Amino acid sequence: MPAKVGIPRSLSYYQLFPLWKTFFEEMGAELVVSGPTTKKILDDGVKCCVDEACLPVKLFHGHVADIKDRVDYLFIPRLTSISKGEYICPKFGGLPDMVRTSLHGLPEIISTEINLRKNKRNSLKAAMEIGHYFTDKDSQIKSAYKKAVGCYNLVKDNFEKGYIPDFIRPGKTAETKSLEKDRNLNIALVGHTYNIYDSFVNMNIWRKLENKNANIITIEMVDEKAINRNARQLPKKIFWNYGRKAVGSAMHLLNEKNLDGVIYVMSFGCGIDSFVCDLVERRIRRTTDLPFIVITLDEHSGEAGLDTRLEAFIDMVRWRCTDKK
Amino acid sequence: MRTGGQPIEALRKGMEYLAGQLGNIEIRGAGTTGSGRQLASVIIGADIVKNEITAHAVAAQNLVPEVKTILEIGGQDSKIIILKNGVVYDFAMNTVCAAGTGSFLDRQASRLNIPIEEFGSYALRSDSPVRIAGRCAVFAESDMIHKQQMGHRVDDIVRGLCQALVRNYLNNLAKGKLIAEPILFQGGVAANVGITAAFEEALGKKVIIPEYYDVMGAYGAALIAKRKMEKSIDTNFKGFDACLRDYSARSRECSGCSNVCEVIELFSNDELLASWGDRCGKWSSRLEGRPLVAR
Repeated sequence: MPAKVGIPRSLSYYQLFPLWKTFFEEMGAELVVSGPTTKKILDDGVKCCVDEACLPVKLFHGHVADIKDRVDYLFIPRLTSISKGEYICPKFGGLPDMVRTSLHGLPEIISTEINLRKNKRNSLKAAMEIGHYFTDKDSQIKSAYKKAVGCYNLVKDNFEKGYIPDFIRPGKTAETKSLEKDRNLNIALVGHTYNIYDSFVNMNIWRKLENKNANIITIEMVDEKAINRNARQLPKKIFWNYGRKAVGSAMHLLNEKNLDGVIYVMSFGCGIDSFVCDLVERRIRRTTDLPFIVITLDEHSGEAGLDTRLEAFIDMVRWRCTDKK
Repeated sequence: MRTGGQPIEALRKGMEYLAGQLGNIEIRGAGTTGSGRQLASVIIGADIVKNEITAHAVAAQNLVPEVKTILEIGGQDSKIIILKNGVVYDFAMNTVCAAGTGSFLDRQASRLNIPIEEFGSYALRSDSPVRIAGRCAVFAESDMIHKQQMGHRVDDIVRGLCQALVRNYLNNLAKGKLIAEPILFQGGVAANVGITAAFEEALGKKVIIPEYYDVMGAYGAALIAKRKMEKSIDTNFKGFDACLRDYSARSRECSGCSNVCEVIELFSNDELLASWGDRCGKWSSRLEGRPLVAR
């Protein structure tokens, strides 16, 4: 019987799942992914997680609780850095320890450190360590790793062309996305992947915007070369992977004449967002006249508050569009 | 009038009063706004359902066409709306904190045994306001109790509270926004002369209180409804009698999935009129084939 590897549908899932999936399947493991976020998962997470953590980290705990009794291994890598010269949120590095101390009755956790800050080749080293849980054959691990990276890159490239991959598609959106000329409104939705694509956490912001005939563009739909080109114009390098992407993609989109507004989605209490959101806002206010709004997501944010803000925002965007004509 | 947490009853009373005041006239259009806008729209049969931010902006512009800043403080929430070249340029609404709203003042006034209507005049009598921490309604209260025990005059404490609320409002909502004149101050709290004085002091600018300051949202919704009905379409308005029918709302937990949504159902004489509050749309889209809550 193949070993069952559990992956929480949370945090890095929204970015790296194609990589994990291909790799573990090539290793002959069976994947168990927790279900889409529900109130129960949220409640479970909030109950066991430390109080000071942000909502996404609490949710991660809930997703672990959802699958922990159904798997042989839990895959919670210690993510320190996923790109050369950059860090990610430090909580990602502490996840395996947080989960271990907060939840009981856990299966074995695969918590290999992944740190590409100094050297990209460290990812192969990490893959070998993970692979040895399943096989002794180094060649098998290497080929699985290659295939996984290939698959990840393909998904990422397609995403940049506007094709939202199945594993994170929020709602029914299936068509290719881009800045459409004939579409009513083009709205950039900037934020962490785990907020933007988890429709429970963001209270169906996609459906709400699409019902108002808005076409949504996210960071992942912007060509990474364009992101980097724009991010390099900043006076100082942003040392967060997400920060570079958020600011770079926002700067790129601001130059597109079809963009009608920017919505920044942030988690309450997020350290990185508190910097990056401000950077993005300043860029927008100083260089353009575009409508901009920050939506803060938290455990107790009511849906009515979001509805009012979105409605008013779309009213504002449309009011300005008709005024220009 | 205050809803007192019972919007249906308040709406019924309001409509009854209106019917008595207006006599036999034809209603050509109706609009609803505010946090109870969906509920109210089902009961009265509204032609437009508009969020309060847009409604406030439309109303303010109608009274003062060149308005640039709207400060609005109501019972439960507060907003700032910035207009540029005659269109809404930016807005913000208070998040979960109630320290910048009318309910904060209400609570502190009742603690000091001052009727809320006289609250402002107490503030105006003070010449050395006491510094009160306005960051949080709970902390402000303990701060205030402490200042009372120290022996400060009530007038000075009240003025300090007004300043604390204004400080909190400006820090929270107006952060980074350019507050240009003309500035309109609307919402129920605009009746409080102490707050207005504190705003003018903090901003160093003149604050205008429009004639219908306490019903600007409703005024805006009416204007939007009027604009729509000018295209001479038939109104959805059900008439005053319909509003006086027996309505009741109740909530229940849907057991369809582990989201356990709290679904709100609106009944009239045991007939289900509308439901909302579900994430998936299973219940809200079931009636009349249209979701009642703008999603």
